[in-house]
Amino acid sequence: MVEKIKNYFITNYLGISTGFSLFLFIFIIPQLFEDSDLIISLIRGIIFSIVVGYLVYKFLLFRRNNPNFVPSESKLVVDAGGSLVAIIVGLLFGLLLMLLVNPGQAFYGFSIILRGGLNRNFKSLGDMIFFSVPIILTGLSVAFAFRTGLFNIGATGQLTMGAFVAVFIGVEWGALGEIHPLLHWGTALLFAMIAGGLFGAIPGLLKAYRNVNEVVASIMLNYVAMYLNTMLIVAYIYNRDYARALDIEETAITPIMNLDLIFPGSAINGGIVVAVIVVIILHIILNKTTFGYELKAVGFNRNASKYAGMNSKRNIVYAMMISGAVAGLAGGLMFLVAGKHLKPENILIPEGFTGIAISLLGLSSPIGVLLAGLFYGSLQQGGYYLQLLNFTPEIIDIIIAVIIYASALGLVLQKFVKMILKRKFLEKEDGEPQDLAVEGSDE
Amino acid sequence: MKKLLLVVAALVLVFGLGACSKVDEYEIAMITDSGGIDDESFNQGTWEGIVEFAEDNDLTYKYYKPLEVSDAAYLDTIALAIEGGAKIVVTPGYLFETSIYEAQDLYPDVYFVLIDGVPHEPWDDDTAFNTADNTLPILFNEHEAGFLAGYAAVIDGYRNLGFTGGMAVPAVVKFGVGFIAGAYYAAAKLDVDIVFGDDTYHYFGDFAPSDNFKNMASSWYTTGTEIIFSAAGGAGASVMAAAADNSAMMIGVDIDQADQSDTVLTSAMKQLGNAVQQALQAYIDGDFVGGAASFKGASNDGVALPMDTSRFATFSVAQYDAIYALLVDGTVVVPADYATLVTFLDDATLDYPSQAEVEGTTE
Amino acid sequence: MEYIIEMLNITKEFPGIKANDNVTLQLKKGEIHALLGENGAGKSTLMSVLFGLYRQEEGIIKVRGEEVVIDSPNDANDYGIGMVHQHFKLVHNFSVVENIVLGFEDTQYGFMKYEEATEKIAALSEKYKLKVNPKELISNISVGMQQRVEILKMLYRDAEILIFDEPTAVLTPQEITELMSIMKDLASEGKSIILITHKLKEIKEVADRCSVLRKGKYIGTVDVKTTSVEKMAEMMVGREVSFVVNKVDSKPTNTVLEVNDLSVYNHRLAKDVVTDVSFEVKAGEILCIAGIEGNGQTQLIEAITGLRNPSKGKIVLNSEDITHCTVRNRNLAGVSHIPEDRHKHGLVLDYSLEQNLIIQTYFDKKFQSRGFIKFDAMRDNAVTLIEKFDIRSGKGATTSARSMSGGNQQKVIVAREIDRDTDLLIAVQPTRGLDVGAIEYIHKQLIAQRDAGKAVLLVSLELEEVMNVSDRIIVMYEGEVVGEFDPKVVTENELGLYMAGSKRSDQ
Ligand SMILES: Nc1ncnc2c1ncn2[C@@H]1O[C@H](COP(=O)(O)OP(=O)(O)OP(=O)(O)O)[C@@H](O)[C@H]1O
Ligand SMILES: [Mg+2]
Repeated sequence: MVEKIKNYFITNYLGISTGFSLFLFIFIIPQLFEDSDLIISLIRGIIFSIVVGYLVYKFLLFRRNNPNFVPSESKLVVDAGGSLVAIIVGLLFGLLLMLLVNPGQAFYGFSIILRGGLNRNFKSLGDMIFFSVPIILTGLSVAFAFRTGLFNIGATGQLTMGAFVAVFIGVEWGALGEIHPLLHWGTALLFAMIAGGLFGAIPGLLKAYRNVNEVVASIMLNYVAMYLNTMLIVAYIYNRDYARALDIEETAITPIMNLDLIFPGSAINGGIVVAVIVVIILHIILNKTTFGYELKAVGFNRNASKYAGMNSKRNIVYAMMISGAVAGLAGGLMFLVAGKHLKPENILIPEGFTGIAISLLGLSSPIGVLLAGLFYGSLQQGGYYLQLLNFTPEIIDIIIAVIIYASALGLVLQKFVKMILKRKFLEKEDGEPQDLAVEGSDE
Repeated sequence: MKKLLLVVAALVLVFGLGACSKVDEYEIAMITDSGGIDDESFNQGTWEGIVEFAEDNDLTYKYYKPLEVSDAAYLDTIALAIEGGAKIVVTPGYLFETSIYEAQDLYPDVYFVLIDGVPHEPWDDDTAFNTADNTLPILFNEHEAGFLAGYAAVIDGYRNLGFTGGMAVPAVVKFGVGFIAGAYYAAAKLDVDIVFGDDTYHYFGDFAPSDNFKNMASSWYTTGTEIIFSAAGGAGASVMAAAADNSAMMIGVDIDQADQSDTVLTSAMKQLGNAVQQALQAYIDGDFVGGAASFKGASNDGVALPMDTSRFATFSVAQYDAIYALLVDGTVVVPADYATLVTFLDDATLDYPSQAEVEGTTE
Repeated sequence: MEYIIEMLNITKEFPGIKANDNVTLQLKKGEIHALLGENGAGKSTLMSVLFGLYRQEEGIIKVRGEEVVIDSPNDANDYGIGMVHQHFKLVHNFSVVENIVLGFEDTQYGFMKYEEATEKIAALSEKYKLKVNPKELISNISVGMQQRVEILKMLYRDAEILIFDEPTAVLTPQEITELMSIMKDLASEGKSIILITHKLKEIKEVADRCSVLRKGKYIGTVDVKTTSVEKMAEMMVGREVSFVVNKVDSKPTNTVLEVNDLSVYNHRLAKDVVTDVSFEVKAGEILCIAGIEGNGQTQLIEAITGLRNPSKGKIVLNSEDITHCTVRNRNLAGVSHIPEDRHKHGLVLDYSLEQNLIIQTYFDKKFQSRGFIKFDAMRDNAVTLIEKFDIRSGKGATTSARSMSGGNQQKVIVAREIDRDTDLLIAVQPTRGLDVGAIEYIHKQLIAQRDAGKAVLLVSLELEEVMNVSDRIIVMYEGEVVGEFDPKVVTENELGLYMAGSKRSDQ
């Protein structure tokens, strides 16, 4: 009993006190020296501290409940560790490049990149979140399909369709906003999802019933979407003076949801709330439901799922549809923003492809993708502020791309590196489980 | 414990290092619009002007790239440039109109040069224009540049002309109108007939190159068109490729495109560099005058054909200077829209492109 | 120098289990040394340590008397050690030559020297009577041939020590006989062989000595000539094992499965691979389909279970026509199926044991409510079955199927299918890769199912199993049923003749 109380106290106390001291150090003390708004700072600080405190509490609770937990035996820890190593490798590549182009400012520049979303505290943090929303969603789209054994390269096309439909409704259906301001935005988003979902279903149907490789089909559909988008914009919502889509109505703009209180001065909007909800939903679908159980089974071993009586064809279509819907949502959120316009350009929107790298980095798990997407956003912010030094934007783009792709690629290469490293020392150190089991060869 | 120390060390490194390092300041800043710095168009033309001016006057300069094409991102990048020490910010392209509208009031101590646009409120409807005293919008008389190109081509012996635009936005339409005016003006002067009608007047609907555009241009060339004026930004490359395939010629736009292809007869240039340099000069002289748009045309060296690099057969510098002078002194007033074009040509028998085609309302 | 290989006091741990616990194995030059042990005893693991796939925590390895460190299969190669894995590691759309030289490419100016390789392989094949055509694609050759390719792969790399991990589990009796003589040839050529097998008869036939493992521990090494099969089995299991299957006569009642004139067309071969097959299985009997591998049994079963569409004929289950039903509906109507290929069909290797155990029943009210999986029910189910069927693994219900030993993977499937308690149980090679103890157990289970009034359809390549377990036998040859027999009357020889196609009874 005493033990129990003690444990309870330790976990809670530590969690709360960590949160509280952070709160003091980061949010209150600086306020005594600066004359910005204390109330806002308080609100922001409280929220932030509660989150951190909660995480610490959770962690301690977990440690207490699983006293024998050996990190190296948990697949999650090992995999996440792999991602981390990949990221470090990517970052080192970036540093190397910076040393090559501008040795004098390389280390300072590198620290800016590392600081990423924290460069301008909550403003850049908010910006980071804002810019990572589409990436998180496309990453989720790719990841979800991937868990079903499908490679959705068509996220770009689905995103484009979603974006068009959202903007179209944003421009044309202003009457909805008169009923309720959120109705207009919500409808635009809903139809963006539907458009993306339908567009994603096409390669799914082709794959399931005509055995057309979904990679090929979805690549082609990217171009279809691109040209269709150009055509439809010009036909229906064209702003001739600016060669772009018309402005959306104010009611269709993604609401800020008071997030500007926490992240003042930043571009943040409610998109992140939507993204987090999607993360949670997909996480639940994949890990808690029979539907997810089926989808993953189909993804891991289509033959076995067929043997088990699962309708793998239907599942393929559903998976692609959900994947497409999430990409469509990304498109909607990307363009339901004031002062941002869809253009009738024949260019594939790059967010769809970045999603692939993010999905890899996030190990195709929704939560992993959320983190990887935020990481990308952070890098992007770092790169943005790096412009203050003597680096040209082109070089910065390359640096960021190198970091992301080296990380993603690193993960792929890791399997091989692991094989070498493991036998050299990892194995001896902690006897991690081997996934290159002798009995392992699938098929 | 060791690990903890490592983490702390890393944190200190990351968050402590930067704080005290000194960062260079850059006085003249440019923000790129959607393209890169080497877009062979606005960004590049403006940037080259800045570089030349800054080098000559020993000023620091730098360009910044926004995270995306949106008003908010543009505004944020302007702020970043100012944080980086900018005293004067140059923004090439009308996409900056709304962000400059806000920035000019947010940063009253900073000067803004907005090329090809006038600051106005966001939102298409209830468009409210406002140019503060610290902002100088620079607009070009595209029709005059187009006129020079059309005139030179016909004088140089071309009789069968075509025009391709990126999209029917006002600036491009003005190029087209001027081009028609120049061509028919020269034809009347030489008393020759030229072929330039609806069939060879077209807007691609895009500023990026594509095989479709190349095919279209090729088909024009094979059916007799001798020269195409392409006011389509990067899509001009498609026309150049088509011209090369057919051993024909084309006319470039915005900046001197002669070195992009041997098929470039000449280019209807906006003197971006000149315009920017004029503004910068005013800035260092301390007599920067904002508050209203400055129009750059023939009268203030704002448009030109690059005679040094043009590939004319007969059209000479003297002939160029002569027509240019007519524009400068107002003897020839180049029409800027279709209605004035009609009165300018004043000859119903001519088969020049129709209003619908020129204003891009056919689609 | 007495021993060519010595593995001394080897210990290898996996999360939750000591796969090898102070194991010693000494291999003499030129001998065939059998390694015997229950499923999950740690045989494959021990061999993986020797082959450089795992690194032992304790113990040393000596090759030709010298202590060595083997860090990778490449190191193993350098010491002349080769291995044929329990599950082959061949690239299916590569040719035999390409597979053999893979990872050992001999190049000249960056080009593969295929001609020389082909010649060398042909010569080796000739020398050891392997009869392998080096140019053939792997996907076009039989499992037995694939195994020979694996053998060639070792010989091509000049291996002196050859490890065979359950080579006979996937072979037909004929192929087994041939393999045995190949191994003897190899041994007489001076190669040293370690043979893992669960079939004591084979050990008796070819091996010189036999080492026994039990639950990761080393039990001892015996001379095969002087040790009885029963003794070895006892060493391995730790108790006496009975080899005879005790069963009472069957009392067949109503017909459960009826197959009428069933044909299956193969588009690639452009012919029927199952031709007009008819039979019925009654409740309370075990009908066995015997035959040499590749005579249409696989396709027949796939057609019955819904994995493949028949081109003609009718399948009736409990007087209900299920010819056009989906797999799911057949499952629900009462078909259980222990599939032939446990990795292809039977398991989702990346799922945990508990997840694999509900693969056909996850949507059942028992495991699901409103679309959400009931994790507790799933766990309970797994715990019960693990207990009941003695499934051994490192981390119990949460063990990933991939990390389980081959035999235990099979037990997972058997447990799942028997537990589904359906009217018809189709078991295709249910004891493949199982140890004698487990085989005994499974056979008992099959008979128990029969006695509980189920219809059991057994497909087996092993005559012994066919004779011991079944109540009725039909033989398939080239897609047709060529005869029906009573196991109490027919002899193994007689059956063999039918299976080889040299005899057929016209019904
Ligand atoms: N990669 C791995 N990760 C975790 N546990 C493993 C791994 N490989 C094997 N094991 C465990 O080690 C034990 C020994 O397995 P091993 O494959 O060596 O058995 P085996 O004797 O070859 O059995 P079988 O006859 O069934 O093939 C088993 O309990 C198995 O679950
Ligand atoms: Mg094994």
